[in-house]
Amino acid sequence: MAQQGQSLDDHGHDHSHAEIGGSGRPGYYDMMETAVRELLVEKKLIGADEIRRQIEVLDSRTPALGAKVVARAWVDPAFRARLLANGRAACEELGISFYDDTALIVLENTDKMHNLIVCTLCSCYPRPVLGLPPDWYKAKPYRARAVSEPRKVLAEFGTIISDDVEIRVSDSTAMVRYLVLPRRPSGTESYSEEQLAALVTRDTMIGVVPASVDKGRTGQ
Amino acid sequence: MTQSENLVKRLPNDIGGLPAEPIKQIDHALEPWEKRCHALADVLDFHKIINTEEKRCGVEALGAEMVGKLTYYERWIVAFANILFRKGLLTPAELALKMKEVEARWLGDDG
Repeated sequence: MAQQGQSLDDHGHDHSHAEIGGSGRPGYYDMMETAVRELLVEKKLIGADEIRRQIEVLDSRTPALGAKVVARAWVDPAFRARLLANGRAACEELGISFYDDTALIVLENTDKMHNLIVCTLCSCYPRPVLGLPPDWYKAKPYRARAVSEPRKVLAEFGTIISDDVEIRVSDSTAMVRYLVLPRRPSGTESYSEEQLAALVTRDTMIGVVPASVDKGRTGQ
Repeated sequence: MTQSENLVKRLPNDIGGLPAEPIKQIDHALEPWEKRCHALADVLDFHKIINTEEKRCGVEALGAEMVGKLTYYERWIVAFANILFRKGLLTPAELALKMKEVEARWLGDDG
């Protein structure tokens, strides 16, 4: 359909392809995305500016938002209680908007319980508070094995959970997303909320590693 | 249980609990078109044109071979096109023509 096999080497003139966005010839799927989007705009099914605006929203979502939520929960017991009762409402209290219709359930790690989140069917993830998921979260090995052998999966991330701690794996859906509230590391009693947030990485909120004073947010 | 029974009981996306390789902690920064594709998915959801569940089913409907060979966002954009065809919002001919136009624009034929 897109004549990919044709020789295009004689494309000798110099002009900007900024609209397409890459430096080389756009690939087949890149052109398909552009074509689908432009047709939907022409048919007035979506607005011309909506994709750009949503890219800005996506770019504004990073694990730093989740880290802010976790640090607040560590220092403010009343907030922590509200967060565990209704994750979405508590995040919204901190100014984190949800751009989709998903519910958020926050799962608290304790000395008796370690939580891990997965989406076995695809890639559902608490995007409003963590941004987009890493590739390994969307790939078969993690999706397949997290529910059946979580201890082995955690060990592959270097996380050894003692046998007397229950591991609970929560499988995300289109409508219900999860976020792990990791345990506050010991020795952080004097830390400010901001210093605490710097200890909270993406992977601690997926539940594959504990929060630690050694592994700050640069470690992901 | 026969092999065909297994196929009935587990659709291609339903892989929770199956044996699989060790985790490779891979990630990549999205290509510009991949990010646009993600934003398109969100916008289609906002307009109630394609919701998350329809998207997942659309990917599943590509079949095991395409699911295995296409990358994540390649699966998404192909699934969106198929769903839009099925809903009568786009036709395959319109898409083919528009893709030629996009390619021609890149080649500079209209500039």
